[in-house]
Amino acid sequence: MLFDPGLQPERTELAWRRTALALGVGSLVAVRLLPAVFEQPAWVFVGIVGLIVAAVLWFAARQRYRVVTEVLMHDGDRAVLPGAALIVALVAVVFVSGLAALVVVLLAPMRELT
Amino acid sequence: MFGTGAEPDARFTLANERTFLAWIRTALAFLAGGVALALLGLDLNGELRLAASLVLVVAGIVTPLLAWLGWARAERALRLGKPLPSSLLGPILGVAVSVAGALLLLAILLK
Repeated sequence: MLFDPGLQPERTELAWRRTALALGVGSLVAVRLLPAVFEQPAWVFVGIVGLIVAAVLWFAARQRYRVVTEVLMHDGDRAVLPGAALIVALVAVVFVSGLAALVVVLLAPMRELT
Repeated sequence: MFGTGAEPDARFTLANERTFLAWIRTALAFLAGGVALALLGLDLNGELRLAASLVLVVAGIVTPLLAWLGWARAERALRLGKPLPSSLLGPILGVAVSVAGALLLLAILLK
């Protein structure tokens, strides 16, 4: 049964999954690049954490979609939708990734990937 | 979700969420661009290239915070039936891209 002909819940799930993919691709590049650039294997964990978060977002997208459609079916369009916890978590992840990127940029003049 | 106001039309809340996610993807692109610029072995003026990288990365750091703020303010406006607030994100990122591009151009010209 389709609640919304505009397919908003579906589009929102896809938006979360697109975001997970963007994070995943960036993390794969980080896994490949950072240990090589800084000649230090420990840097691989930056990318690995990113991959884990991307996987969590990917599955959370489907879970969130299920919750949203369930709630909309029962409570109509004035429903109480899932809360902001996932949004806050995503902000934190991207912010920390940004700080890591800043470290990389500041240390990079000493090393270069040619 | 919040304590104030009434539950808005679910479609608006979902649209607000998708807008936030779009800004997050934009932030990731800025970070990727800034890091790529720093790491690629390009024959450019070092200081200017670093400056361009920093502009992109700082924009990428600031964007998730402003996106979150914008999402929360829009959600509140929807709940209270008030006009949607304008966001600083567009102008800030527009300026960041232009400044980074100009620095990059100079880095190419002044190597």
